[in-house]
Amino acid sequence: MVHALLSRIIGSLRRERLDAECDQEVQEHLEMLAERFMAQGLEPAEAHYAALRQFGGVTQMKEELRERRALPPWDVLAQDVRHALRGLWNAKGFTASAAMTLALGIGASTAVFAVLDTVVLRPLPFADADRLMSFRNLDRRGSPHPTNLSYPNFFDYRAQNRVFEHLVCYRDSRFTLTDSLPPIQEPGEIVSWDLFPLLGVQPELGRGFLPEEEKAGAHVVVLSHQLWQSRFGADRGIVGRQIRINGKPFTVAGVAPRGFQFPEDAPPMQLWTTLAEDAAETEATPLTEQRGARVTDSIGRLRHGVTPAQAQTQMDQIGASLALLDPDNNKNVAKTLVMPELERLVGTSRRTLWILFGAVMLVLLIGCANVANLLLVRSTGRTREFALRTALGASRRALVRQLLAESLVLGSLGTIGGVLLSVLALRLVLPMAGDSIAIPRLAQASVDIRVLAFSIAAALATVLLFSLAPAAQVMRVDVAGALKEAAASIAPGRHRLRNSLVVGQITLGLVLLVGAELLIASFVYLARRDPGFRPDHLLTFGVGLSETRYDVAGQGAFSDRLRKLLRAIPGVKAVAAGLPLPLEGNEMTVSFDIEERRAPAPERPSSDMAIVTPDFFRTMGIPIRKGRDFTERDDARATRVLIVNQAFARTYFPGEDAIGKRVEPGGTNIGEKKTMMREIVGIVGDATQSALEAEATPIYYFPYKQLSWDIGTFVVRSAIPPEQIEQAARNALMSLDKEAPMFQVRTGEERAARAIAVPRFLTILMSGFAGIAVLLTVVGLYGVLSYTVTRRRREIGVRMALGADRGAVVALVLKDAMKTVAVGLALGVAGAAAVQRLLGSIAFGIRPGDPMFTALACGVMIVASLAAAYLPALRAALMDPTQTLRNE
Amino acid sequence: MPKDHSEILQGTLDLMVLKTLDALGPLHGYGIARRIEQLSEDMVRLNEGTVYASLLRLGQKGWIRSEWGASENKRKAKFYSITKAGQKQLARETESWERISGVIGRVLRLDSQR
Repeated sequence: MVHALLSRIIGSLRRERLDAECDQEVQEHLEMLAERFMAQGLEPAEAHYAALRQFGGVTQMKEELRERRALPPWDVLAQDVRHALRGLWNAKGFTASAAMTLALGIGASTAVFAVLDTVVLRPLPFADADRLMSFRNLDRRGSPHPTNLSYPNFFDYRAQNRVFEHLVCYRDSRFTLTDSLPPIQEPGEIVSWDLFPLLGVQPELGRGFLPEEEKAGAHVVVLSHQLWQSRFGADRGIVGRQIRINGKPFTVAGVAPRGFQFPEDAPPMQLWTTLAEDAAETEATPLTEQRGARVTDSIGRLRHGVTPAQAQTQMDQIGASLALLDPDNNKNVAKTLVMPELERLVGTSRRTLWILFGAVMLVLLIGCANVANLLLVRSTGRTREFALRTALGASRRALVRQLLAESLVLGSLGTIGGVLLSVLALRLVLPMAGDSIAIPRLAQASVDIRVLAFSIAAALATVLLFSLAPAAQVMRVDVAGALKEAAASIAPGRHRLRNSLVVGQITLGLVLLVGAELLIASFVYLARRDPGFRPDHLLTFGVGLSETRYDVAGQGAFSDRLRKLLRAIPGVKAVAAGLPLPLEGNEMTVSFDIEERRAPAPERPSSDMAIVTPDFFRTMGIPIRKGRDFTERDDARATRVLIVNQAFARTYFPGEDAIGKRVEPGGTNIGEKKTMMREIVGIVGDATQSALEAEATPIYYFPYKQLSWDIGTFVVRSAIPPEQIEQAARNALMSLDKEAPMFQVRTGEERAARAIAVPRFLTILMSGFAGIAVLLTVVGLYGVLSYTVTRRRREIGVRMALGADRGAVVALVLKDAMKTVAVGLALGVAGAAAVQRLLGSIAFGIRPGDPMFTALACGVMIVASLAAAYLPALRAALMDPTQTLRNE
Repeated sequence: MPKDHSEILQGTLDLMVLKTLDALGPLHGYGIARRIEQLSEDMVRLNEGTVYASLLRLGQKGWIRSEWGASENKRKAKFYSITKAGQKQLARETESWERISGVIGRVLRLDSQR
């Protein structure tokens, strides 16, 4: 094997000399043979021919030896490629349409692969990434989502397990930086000390954290590279200096390397600090001491040789012992979940992206069919050329090789165009997903070496696919027949082949159309679904308030003053604050005990909650269905009250009036020193908490003066466009506190759009693919029909001569087209059913298996096909029968 | 693509060429063709050009080598000779050939006794 390859390489390098030697050797051989024949008594001329006969085809043999001696890709291919280029240049129309079709297919699939690769396939950018495991609790009450850990539980898991090298907790937060003006608020992460060792990341400057820096009173921070550059001028002397964060002096321990991001499913974190932040003494018990407060996520690195299943077993054992230790808080969360961190990150997007990838591969296939069709047309016109070359001694192998060379050149053109297109497409499409973090890592997608390798592989596969048909045809070339007939003969199988390519296109196109329809319908459902509040004329923003300068009472007073100032802005109709707002997801879930049906802690129901100021419902446009709104008199001295949504009332008080009922919400983890019975005083409409939830979920609202937590997000309803309020709102805030930053300033409509950014992104892509697919199919059908009409010119001429009118001819062609279409659709319907099942999981508001979608897609296909068929039909009808028949 | 006859007989031809070179020492292509013709008593009629394809195949596998020399009638000719690797290969091929032809022979005899 090696020897053969080596000798071929040498053969390639010394080609000319070896050719000459071979010529000489053959020449000698022939002469010796001829001499022998002469010795037997033949005339010299006769002897010469006898020698040639005995030797066999000299040219063919030399050609074969030459081919065999050298590496084919070297010399022969160079020549083939030259031929191919010349051939393609001579058929510019064909070349342009084939290359463009390919570029479209390869471009789209490259772009989608870039996304798939970045988001799903690429490992995490950390050391031993395959041993990084997400570690969370499972709620035994059957919640599908794993829950966070409480700090005390985390500490116990960390201390008792022997399966993780490092187990690190982390939780998203926001921090206000007030070193220089203007104050800014940035996302930051509160972590246990060994985050950097866990990830195997070395800070660019300084160090990570030390174990003792987890204790209350420690204030250390690692800055992101970006924050270090933008806020601190990339000052290398920053390490060890103190900066003001949340009004407290923090020592800068280090600066993270450029591009470091953790966690990856959050907005880019600008700083990391230790859980000392949560251990600090506040009015409530510190988070780090509340076993019921499930606030922190966790990630660990498995020790060498430990499997995830083994880790899971040990963590479950620890969980069981924790449940015995504190059943009230832990009985429901004794089970744990150890899964690869990558799986946690991309598990939900994976399916979606693979579906997209599948869709784009179908587009590529449809494109292949078109190019194959184009090549078939082209090679039909070249039958005579090939026959002639075969007769002149070209081997079939050489002909096929030349066809392949042409396809390869086409493929290369398509790949280059496709890669350029994909770069463009990524730049165009990625921003459509918004700055949404619902698909982690999406923003990092770009065309890199891996992606390039993919597009080249895809191109090679495509080239192979679309050149199969023409190559098969060359193999069957009937030399004598083709040369004899003046007109190009039509091999009987060829037309059937072209027709079946179109049938395949229609089948795949239908599948894509149904997919796109489903996503469009789902998106329209999501976009037009009443969110339960009025997003128009609404401005929302957060305010970063220093916790050191404002205690809980101070924060409440600040909120009051700011809302008063905002209300005074001209054009403002109502002002309130709330946390979390609708569409922000199921952020805070707290269990509660119903007075009439008391239950032990682990058996209590739990529901979303929110904390709001008076006027919140009026400002948001959430209707009060029954009872009353909160007022400023619902304060710490008054009766504890709640407002619930209709879903809550329906779920927990079915058939009863929920007003006046009393419930006792969750433990100390919502900021109360002790729990209290609260009376339901109002029922409001269902505002969608999570845009991607099929139905409204129960939620209960607390008045802000009876449950201090955070200042919340301010909401302003205006009579004028909300953007026009923003500057006045900023001024109002500045007049109260120069150091308080305003962040996440968004209109209600922006919020609504963000919430469905991912479905929108999917829908746009899928519709684009379906559009391309239909277009390509129409073009393919048009090509086949045009060809058929040309081929049947004589038959049509005869029919017309015998009295068929134009209408009959048009009908004839259309009938022909519809036969092909019908077969394609029949096959496609089965595929469409499969697609509906597949997409059922990511589509909303759609009856599974609704035949309407398939019917509609068939309709679109039929109309598009009729349009494609009409032109050739018309051309057939307009033929002059006398002319056609004379030409024959 | 239909296989040429020569392709089907390729392996056999290679074996014959190898054996010829082993038995007679260095030979040129013409000599090999003559020798095969003679030994097979005209049972094997070959396009002599195929000998060169066989020689190239064997050379590429490292079983034979070639050098330029003078032929009997003082012509310049390329002489091929078998290598060590070639002799080993020949031994292997001969053994398996004998085994197979032995088996086939026995089977055919069985058939004719019926």
